[in-house]
Amino acid sequence: MLEAIGAGLAALLTPQAILFMFIGVVYGLVIGILPGLGGVVAMALLLPFTYGFEKAATLALLLGAHIATIWGDSVTSILFSVPGSAKGLALCFDGYPMTKQGQAKRALAASATGALMGGIIGAVFLALCIPLIRPVILALGPSEYLMMALWGLTVIATFSEGSLMKGLIASLLGVLAAFIGTDVVTATPRFTFGSEFLMDGISFPVAMIGLFAVSEMMKLAIKGTPIVDRSLVKEVSTVWQGVMDAVRHWWLVVRSSLLGLWIGVLPGVGASVAGLAAYAQAVQTSKTPERFGKGAVEGVIAPDATMGANEGGGLMPTLAFGIPGGESMAILLVAFIGLGVVPGPDMLTKNLDLVFSMVWIIVIANIVVTIIGLAICPALARLPTLHANLMVPIVLSVCFVGAYATRSRIEDVVVAAVFGVLGYVMDKYRYSRANFVIGMVLAVMIERNLHISLTLYGKDFLLQRPIALAMLAFVLFTAALPFFRTWRRNRRKALAT
Amino acid sequence: MSRRAQDNLVAAVLLALFAGVIWLCQDFGPRARMIPLPLAIFGLILTAIQIVWQNVGSTDELRMDMIEVPAPDSAGAQSGPVAATRPAAQRGASWREEARALGIVAVLLALVLLLGPILAVFLFTGGYFLFTRHYSLRAGVIYTAVFTAATYLLFFVALEIQPYHGILAPLFAQ
Repeated sequence: MLEAIGAGLAALLTPQAILFMFIGVVYGLVIGILPGLGGVVAMALLLPFTYGFEKAATLALLLGAHIATIWGDSVTSILFSVPGSAKGLALCFDGYPMTKQGQAKRALAASATGALMGGIIGAVFLALCIPLIRPVILALGPSEYLMMALWGLTVIATFSEGSLMKGLIASLLGVLAAFIGTDVVTATPRFTFGSEFLMDGISFPVAMIGLFAVSEMMKLAIKGTPIVDRSLVKEVSTVWQGVMDAVRHWWLVVRSSLLGLWIGVLPGVGASVAGLAAYAQAVQTSKTPERFGKGAVEGVIAPDATMGANEGGGLMPTLAFGIPGGESMAILLVAFIGLGVVPGPDMLTKNLDLVFSMVWIIVIANIVVTIIGLAICPALARLPTLHANLMVPIVLSVCFVGAYATRSRIEDVVVAAVFGVLGYVMDKYRYSRANFVIGMVLAVMIERNLHISLTLYGKDFLLQRPIALAMLAFVLFTAALPFFRTWRRNRRKALAT
Repeated sequence: MSRRAQDNLVAAVLLALFAGVIWLCQDFGPRARMIPLPLAIFGLILTAIQIVWQNVGSTDELRMDMIEVPAPDSAGAQSGPVAATRPAAQRGASWREEARALGIVAVLLALVLLLGPILAVFLFTGGYFLFTRHYSLRAGVIYTAVFTAATYLLFFVALEIQPYHGILAPLFAQ
């Protein structure tokens, strides 16, 4: 094994591999910052250029780009509350308030360091757990995935901002929006009104661009001043503060990383769920949850650590079984085929050095991203001080072009505009946009796994799947916890008075 | 229009939307409507309760509802993840300002549909700079040209996105 670790690293020390890694990282950062384009697009666009090169160099290019998009996504979420993709959503909640308080450098640095630490933890666990994870994954079926998705819904209370009723309505709207298009189970067109475009459903990145980016620009146009007015709010933080924040909250980083790793291992769950779940976990476990949403640095560190580790987790089922953990891992599988590598149990014997090359790529790419990120933090932190009259036309234009670029369909631009207005109205009347997105993310997963569970095990599937039953108990416990805490706090207040 | 009336209007639209979903679900098979139908019914009930609640309580209570969420200290004002992203100025936005913001989005959308993304970006950005008089004419034109060129190179050259030339393209072609 030690020999394979060494061979994996040696394969990355060739000039071609080093160059490819650097190109991949820089390219990934740019793509990550563009709205609507995330790691999947970054890898898909690189795929045609990967044939005929060294295996390790090709993987360095692809994985390097993919890992860099994670932090790229976070940058716009923190600075403008405009998530580059669904993954960056959780960063808006505390990163953006930090920017408005003159702590953009700290938030960006904490985000980059959190992602680095999460990435390294994820890579180490990937190396250690590949042989162990096989029976765990095989023990989980659609019923357990259904419970995972239901657990995701418990975060709704966290994002409901005083009104759980409106929060629930928003999430139901998100679920119903996700059902627009052809039903994956019965092939029935639902809510399409005969439109061929709607048959494919609403593109998730396009909906995100509208709900957050377009509506934020509408708000900025109304406000008419920079996001951060330096005459009123000075930049009071440093990059080093952010780095130390991530180090100081090491236990939060470890917890979030393990969560990200676990979600990554589960095929089809995805990093967007991971970021939201990490944020909810950080709020639920904090001794001062009231600070969240107002610029708590933990709200930045937790999602980034989770998303960093998520990549290592996503590689596990991809390498061990040939089952992609997400869309980006599916593209990696295509690259494997091009390279003549067959994922599966043989990866752990015949191609172990390649597996460790990937582990090293995750570690090195994360380090390179963090170094570049920390270096450009001060320059990035100045962007929110640009005047609204400059920001609005530029960001709106990029958003609309980005929406079009997602699927090269002009109708997506209309969808982005409609969701932009919807996002503005939801925000104004306190229907949580975050809950809408959570509903949208989890809807298809819930429906698909419920149908499969019913088909495989019948109506009493929970009784036949004890793990799923235990998970349901956990879901109910997690859902009830916030209400129990409120009841306890009110009781204490009543006793005090 | 009072805040309560606005809230009622939004809730009424939601009520109609959930009712519409229930009606549309009748055309689907039992499996296809297994999840959307109960959720839409649940949404309808929740929205109806919300309408009743927001008309029973005082205006201040519109920020909260009967199921309190443990976020925040007092009355939910300025708290929670979503509130954090709301600029203070928005709460005082007049309908004129909101109509202007909506108009900005509508103009860009119309330009993109009619002329395609690149020409739309050039005209919209240049027009915005000109209209707001934030830059001098010369600086505005230079910034607009540089930004449009960067957008074109990034999306349509480097990323090889298929270009769209707009509804009016056939007219120009003739």
